[in-house]
Amino acid sequence: MLACLCTVLWHIPAVPALNRTGDPGPGPSIQKTYDLTRYLEHQLRSLAGTYLNYLGPPFNEPDFNPPRLGAETLPRATVNLEVWRSLNDKLRLTQNYEAYSHLLCYLRGLNRQAATAELRRSLAHFCTSLQGLLGSIAGVMAALGYPLPQPLPGTEPTWAPGPAHSDFLQKMDDFWLLKELQTWLWRSAKDFNRLKKKMQPPAAAVTLHLEAHGF
Amino acid sequence: MTPLAGSLGAGACGGRSPAPPPQTGRQLRRVAGPLGRWGERKEDLTPAPQIKAGGLSGKPQKRQSGIPEKGSGAYTAMISPQDPTLLIGSSLQATCSVHGDPPGATAEGLYWTLNGRRLPPELSRVLNASTLALALANLNGSRQQSGDNLVCHARDGSILAGSCLYVGLPPEKPFNISCWSKNMKDLTCRWTPGAHGETFLHTNYSLKYKLRWYGQDNTCEEYHTVGPHSCHIPKDLALFTPYEIWVEATNRLGSARSDVLTLDILDVVTTDPPPDVHVSRVGGLEDQLSVRWVSPPALKDFLFQAKYQIRYRVEDSVDWKVVDDVSNQTSCRLAGLKPGTVYFVQVRCNPFGIYGSKKAGIWSEWSHPTAASTPRSERAGPGGGACEPRSGEPSSGPVRRELKQFLGWLKKHAYCSNLSFRLYDQWRAWMQKSHKTRNQDEGILPSGRRGAARGPAR
Repeated sequence: MLACLCTVLWHIPAVPALNRTGDPGPGPSIQKTYDLTRYLEHQLRSLAGTYLNYLGPPFNEPDFNPPRLGAETLPRATVNLEVWRSLNDKLRLTQNYEAYSHLLCYLRGLNRQAATAELRRSLAHFCTSLQGLLGSIAGVMAALGYPLPQPLPGTEPTWAPGPAHSDFLQKMDDFWLLKELQTWLWRSAKDFNRLKKKMQPPAAAVTLHLEAHGF
Repeated sequence: MTPLAGSLGAGACGGRSPAPPPQTGRQLRRVAGPLGRWGERKEDLTPAPQIKAGGLSGKPQKRQSGIPEKGSGAYTAMISPQDPTLLIGSSLQATCSVHGDPPGATAEGLYWTLNGRRLPPELSRVLNASTLALALANLNGSRQQSGDNLVCHARDGSILAGSCLYVGLPPEKPFNISCWSKNMKDLTCRWTPGAHGETFLHTNYSLKYKLRWYGQDNTCEEYHTVGPHSCHIPKDLALFTPYEIWVEATNRLGSARSDVLTLDILDVVTTDPPPDVHVSRVGGLEDQLSVRWVSPPALKDFLFQAKYQIRYRVEDSVDWKVVDDVSNQTSCRLAGLKPGTVYFVQVRCNPFGIYGSKKAGIWSEWSHPTAASTPRSERAGPGGGACEPRSGEPSSGPVRRELKQFLGWLKKHAYCSNLSFRLYDQWRAWMQKSHKTRNQDEGILPSGRRGAARGPAR
């Protein structure tokens, strides 16, 4: 079940690379990806609010900060500032792509039997939007000629049903999943903003050229 | 103890890197309840300033008070019972057991919260050096269906362990099952849940059905199609044999089953509302509108006599007038209407007597409202005045009489009822005209009708 879904994720059809000659380049798709992260951030805010209310207090309290145990395997957005600044484009995009692939997988596995039909619908809708973001990132990577990351050996999903997991621990896992998702979306906006700035044609060179001619 | 493989465990979704093996001394035991103390995982800390990791509250993640311990930093706890299910009004005895590596780990200073609220200290007591007990009585139903959050905290407020309490009632029998089949292709059923216990605990409803003499139970799969307690069976339905249908309600405390409903698909057939409803004026008649429609195409291949109902209302009113007993025809004349008024008209269909069944089917939805207006009244006669509310009234006496006579004649001579209405209207229009001219004559000139009858131009 979960294994199936995760394998499907890794085999997202490759987006054909954009024709570089005479087109605006990856700029518009970077912009689109940026816009998507903002949209998802907004969507997550209301989804998380509803979901945390469903988990009940103290999970929906503003300063709640439980121990972070099961969330060890969550891709972490937190990163050293210098490290983040010095990421090359390929690594920056790859980290984003891998993170959302895993987060999407976990989200889909958020199988709260007891959740209301409405909550399940909101979750499904969010997963679809997140899938869209993944596609968008894949598009940017293809446009820049970077290969899509392949699943690492050893993390190939084999469903191993674990021993009984306490409900309270499950709630904490859910909490951290949502929090990490929020952090990633917050970070991705900055990632794509940075990429956008890098891709812009150097305006300074153009002005110099004109000045040399006209005056 | 093996590390836990929960939904975020290593197996299913994979991490960016394989999870580090648990080291001795860390003792990250995650089996059924025990939680490590925050601050154990040193790889979290980075010396340089980080970009703000905005949490859900927008604030940076707070570091736990307490320095991460080197080597043996374990300080775990466990609540018992884990995730219990209880009846409303029952009591609960719980314990929080602390397993400390430094032998100084103690139950002193620990406290309980339930759904984020600190519990009064008189409910807790220290059983022994490492165990804090809690006694709750007369429990209320759970605040949320995901369970009440009972948490054991260390002195500094950090969470040591948690347990979800499920307090509620077993489900009651669902009742009032009603089903209908759209065009004999599917079956949709609706039911009412039993009164109590439905809100505190998550209650799962399952609609089951089987053919009466064939024994195999089937379960409906598409839920919430027409409201929260409904299910839709899209295909593989048999005709001519009755079905037995029932609903099972299950929650953590038990289950309940509704009474069995036995029905034949052919007795609960409904269809789409009639398409192409047109409402138009009847020549110059001020108090009539003609309604025409098409019989629903989905059932055109099946022999049935359709029954229709028409309802209409004045534009600003909420009171509908219903025309019943419109049998097997696709047009109708509404009479006795107000002149110069906008009317909304709707039609619905009942596939009566499908496949020879003697029973009525189920009424379809009403068609989309169609609007039309009656012509303005032109009568400016000396007699009644312009404010006559019912155009037919002054002449109702003689017209009625003549109508009876006319219809009587028609029954003998006409072959189609539609024809009779048309003829009647034509005749009625003629009657009104001749009434007008008669009135005018009496008031004006004794001379020949023709000349004076012209009067105000039409």
